[in-house]
Amino acid sequence: MSDRPEVVLTMPARAEGVGVVRQALAGMADALDFEAPVLADMKMAVTEACTNVVVHAYDAQDGILEVEMRAGEEGLTIAVRDHGSGIQPRPARSEPAALGLGLPLIAALSDAFELRGSAGRGTEVRMTFTYARESDPADANPVTGTVGIDGRWDLDAPTPES
Amino acid sequence: MEANPIVLDDTAGDVVVVVVEGEHDIYTAPTLRERLEEALDRGGGIVVDLTAATFVDSSVLGALLDARRRALEAGQGFVVCVGETVEPGVQRILDITGLVPVLPVLRRRDEAIEAARANGAAA
Repeated sequence: MSDRPEVVLTMPARAEGVGVVRQALAGMADALDFEAPVLADMKMAVTEACTNVVVHAYDAQDGILEVEMRAGEEGLTIAVRDHGSGIQPRPARSEPAALGLGLPLIAALSDAFELRGSAGRGTEVRMTFTYARESDPADANPVTGTVGIDGRWDLDAPTPES
Repeated sequence: MEANPIVLDDTAGDVVVVVVEGEHDIYTAPTLRERLEEALDRGGGIVVDLTAATFVDSSVLGALLDARRRALEAGQGFVVCVGETVEPGVQRILDITGLVPVLPVLRRRDEAIEAARANGAAA
C-alpha cells in the first residue's frame, strides 16, 4: 500500500460541481505542500478540464464527471474523465459560444498533459503538476493567438503586445 | 448572503462598475452575463472590477470578451480593473492569454472609470 494520498470524485457533470472539485484539489495540494502559484495553475487547468466535460461531453443528457487525483513520486497527477461523446472541442450547439481556450490553457498550465479518447467512448484529460517546478510550463506551451471577431479564440491570430 | 457576489455600482454616474467578488467559473458565468447585459443597457461606460475576485476561468473571459465586443460596437467604454495586488487565480489567466492590452486591464478602479469614460467618448 502506498501512503501517498489518492482521491477519486464521481459526480453529476453539472456546472455547480466544478467548484467542489477545486475545493478538493486545494485540500489535496495543501497536504502536499504545493506552492501557491502552482496551486493556482492546478485549479485553473482542472477547472478547464471539468468545464469541457460539463459543456461538451453529454449533449442534453445527464452524465458523470470523474476526477482522480493521485500523488506520485514526481508530482500530483489529476485525471478528468467523462463517458460521453468523445473529443469535440468546438461543438456547434454550445450557447453562448465557448471561447475554445480550455485545452490551450491546460497545456500551458500543467507540467505534463495527455488527452485520450475517441468518438463515442468518452475522454480523459490527464495532467501532472510537479512538486518542484524547474520552469514555467507556459513558456514551453504558450497560449497563442487572441480573441477573433466571432468571439472565439483564434489560435493563429497574432498575440497582442502588452 | 451570496458567497460570490456580482453587483452593479453606479455611484460613478455615467460609468457603471460591475463588481465581481470571489470565485467565478461556468456556474456563475450566466449571472455575470446577466449583470454585464444590465450594465450595457444603461448606455454608458462599463468597468468590470475584479479586485476582490479570487479565481476566474475561461468562461468568465468569454463573458467579458462578449461584453467588450458589444460595448465597442455601441460606442460604450469598456475597461477591466484588478487592483494593486492581484490574486494569482486572476492574474495568471490574464497574463498567459495576452488579454491585458485587449480587454484592456488596468489596476485601480478610479483610473479604469476615467479610461472607460474616455474610450467611450472617443468611440
